Amino acid sequence: MSVLEIRGLHKAYGGIQALDDADFVIESPGLYGLIGPNGAGKTTLFDVVAGTVQADSGSVRFGGQDITGWPSHRRALGGISRSFQECRVLPEESCLDNVLFAAQPKGLAACMWQAFTRNNAHRRRVTDEAMRLLGLVRLQGHAHTPAAQLSFGQKRLLELVSVFMSSPRLLLLDEPASGVNPALLEVLSDFICTMYAEEARAFLIVEHNMEFIMALASDIIVMHQGKVLERGSPQAVQASPRVLEAYLG
Amino acid sequence: MGEALLEQVINGLMMGSLYVLVALGMVLIYGVMHVVNFAHGVLFTLGGYVGVFCYQHLAPSYPLALLLSIASLAVLGLAIERLVFHPLDGNLRNQVIASLGLILFLENLIIAVWGATALQWKVASTEHLVSIGSLQFSAHHLGIIVITLALVAVLGVFLKYSRFGTAIRATSQSREAAIVVGIPVRRVQRSSFAIGCMLAGLGGGLVGPLFLVFPQMGDVPLVKGLAGILLGGMGSVPGAVVGGMLLGVTESVSTLFLPTDYRDSIAFMVMVLILLFRPQGLFGQRIRGED
Amino acid sequence: MRRIAIVPRALGVLALIGLLTAPVWAAGHPYVLHMLVLSCIVSIAAVGLNLMLGYGGLVSLGHMGFAGLGAYVAAVLMVDARWGFWSALGTAAIASAIAGALIGLICFRFRGHFFMIVTLAFGLLLHAVMNNWDDVTRGAAGLPGVPRPAAWRWGDTVISFGQLPNFYYLALAITLAVFALQYVVVRSDLGRVLGSIRQDERLARARGVNVIVFKTVVFALGSALAGVSGVLQVSFLRVAAPASFNMLESINTVLVVIVGGAGFLVGPAVGALLYVTLPEALRLANEWRLVIFGGLLVIMMLFAPQGIAGLAYTLWQRITGDRSAR
Repeated sequence: MSVLEIRGLHKAYGGIQALDDADFVIESPGLYGLIGPNGAGKTTLFDVVAGTVQADSGSVRFGGQDITGWPSHRRALGGISRSFQECRVLPEESCLDNVLFAAQPKGLAACMWQAFTRNNAHRRRVTDEAMRLLGLVRLQGHAHTPAAQLSFGQKRLLELVSVFMSSPRLLLLDEPASGVNPALLEVLSDFICTMYAEEARAFLIVEHNMEFIMALASDIIVMHQGKVLERGSPQAVQASPRVLEAYLG
Repeated sequence: MGEALLEQVINGLMMGSLYVLVALGMVLIYGVMHVVNFAHGVLFTLGGYVGVFCYQHLAPSYPLALLLSIASLAVLGLAIERLVFHPLDGNLRNQVIASLGLILFLENLIIAVWGATALQWKVASTEHLVSIGSLQFSAHHLGIIVITLALVAVLGVFLKYSRFGTAIRATSQSREAAIVVGIPVRRVQRSSFAIGCMLAGLGGGLVGPLFLVFPQMGDVPLVKGLAGILLGGMGSVPGAVVGGMLLGVTESVSTLFLPTDYRDSIAFMVMVLILLFRPQGLFGQRIRGED
Repeated sequence: MRRIAIVPRALGVLALIGLLTAPVWAAGHPYVLHMLVLSCIVSIAAVGLNLMLGYGGLVSLGHMGFAGLGAYVAAVLMVDARWGFWSALGTAAIASAIAGALIGLICFRFRGHFFMIVTLAFGLLLHAVMNNWDDVTRGAAGLPGVPRPAAWRWGDTVISFGQLPNFYYLALAITLAVFALQYVVVRSDLGRVLGSIRQDERLARARGVNVIVFKTVVFALGSALAGVSGVLQVSFLRVAAPASFNMLESINTVLVVIVGGAGFLVGPAVGALLYVTLPEALRLANEWRLVIFGGLLVIMMLFAPQGIAGLAYTLWQRITGDRSAR
């Protein structure tokens, strides 16, 4: 049973064909890169997989299940977690609360039950794990700082920690390295590797920072003009004349 | 029946003209500053009060009263824009709440200064009668329609053909692009706000002699103006005109079949129905996601 | 994580003691109790709007429409159908909740301005029904003869709610229950989800929140509380009038929540007390109250949008050097 199956996705915005028969399969857990020149359709693909946007045609299967019609919150609850290109965190909440929120139950009945029984056992249990992960990204000292006061790089790290808290099987990371200074970049990639080593999940990472993604991922998918152009190891993709032409042409 | 209908259509055009004046002001401000000025109704009211004050205490000249009313609303509008809306630029919720605060502040200031009872404003044009067919209307009634249509025409020409008018249109389409192109965006914002307030003030000054001048007289026109711009399409100037007139005529004609109590409810229903079935209104583009 | 330190807690206890003993220290001045009852009524509706606006981020400009709905449902049940106060109250709260859920579902399709305008429109519609449906509501003239709750008797003791102190305790008890409910909702997983919707709806969705469901729940709850406030009001004043539930009253409620401090637990209480008692304290004529409040609202939006509770909180943080999140 594959992790993610994209079949024949088409999506047009006005006159622009953002996805034009996009098709690929992610068979097993691993670190996968998704690259391509601007306008290749990477963000649209992410939006379709995450459920923010509905494709015009085609299907998305996750863990063998057809999730094409599922709304985004259902996919999130079903094991797909995503980070955003522009980096989104809850600005008024502390780092710890941000991470705890990502872990807490989101169903209405569960939330109302917790409200009336005042049961904080789950929250306490998760706090230790939350602090451990914050420690891995060197944010444990900011556990009680409002997220709005963090630097952009720190916010990226916080967002990255948050995406793991719901025990996802597929993580969609949208340009996690963009805007992060080189010192924090190492913390970021180390963190991703550590989390992958602790539990084998599928990471699909969109990136423009070639150095970063080629070092991190073992399987690179190249998109161009709305479809998959090439796929292979970082070395193979970097040597491919077709990929070069897509970027330069 | 035909005569009753004609009578209501003309009444409707007159009320519609007042709604258009409010709606036009609101749509100009919305287009350029992306904020709905909920205080527009109370500015309409102030137009009436300044007008009647000038008429009764300065000189019994109706044109002068209207002129002074428009001028003072322009000044007030500039002050409000500079002191309230500009500092809050970018924060929609706070701008709207501040405009609600302005409603309370100004409307109750009017009550505190002028009292809660309505004022009568006797003006010659309301006495002077004009015949259309076998119907009779006061010159004032028809004057409102004529003045509004003339103003709409002037505004239309100004926006379409003049340099500053084009600057206004450009700014309402994209503020960033306007800045890049070198348009004096602040001046455009201040002017549009002032023009919007002047239109509201004119509306108040025109309606004052017709009914009465009272502190709450702008509350209903605010809602009608809102309904008008929703109907016409937020951000569309021709839409505001068509929407306002259409609403006015529909309301008046409806009194032929519905109890007059429900006349005002038509505007509310229009608002809800438009938002449900055609949120972009008649002429607006697809609603930009104001997330 | 919000922690309540010693000093604010002590102040809270003092305030509570003051409220509980009010009929004693205000013995010769019945207008004090009268204003406290009005403050209770205003604060209940304000809690409803605080949940919607302050925590959920939903700026509703038609809140008093739901207060009126509850008020008239109860008034008609009590006057025409001779129902008791408590069953009328319960029914009114449920009616307002259902109306809130249904109307909310329509309104949630819109964002920003459009959401505010459509809530305004529904508030106006509800008011128009109250004002014009003469057969049921008696129209603009109002519906008189709304009774106080029936007296409580056991043995020889009779507690009549026609007496101000007794009604005051009733209103206070309901108000405290409402604030307790606000606390339970806000300091919980439910409250945290609402906060996430307010801060970043798109992010909330990506983390698994079914936004529509939660918005509907908070809108229904807020509207139910507005309804309760309405019922209390018409029973207190013994008359139901449409003018109490018009657009301007909805705007006044927004003022109460914002000035008090939106998104703070005590905000509605602070705002309501200020709104009701300030004119008395400053010995002003009634007209100037709203002039000052309107001006205050504008000034606060410019310089202190977090309201009085927010200002107090920031001040407290400065004094204690506490830089943690709220």
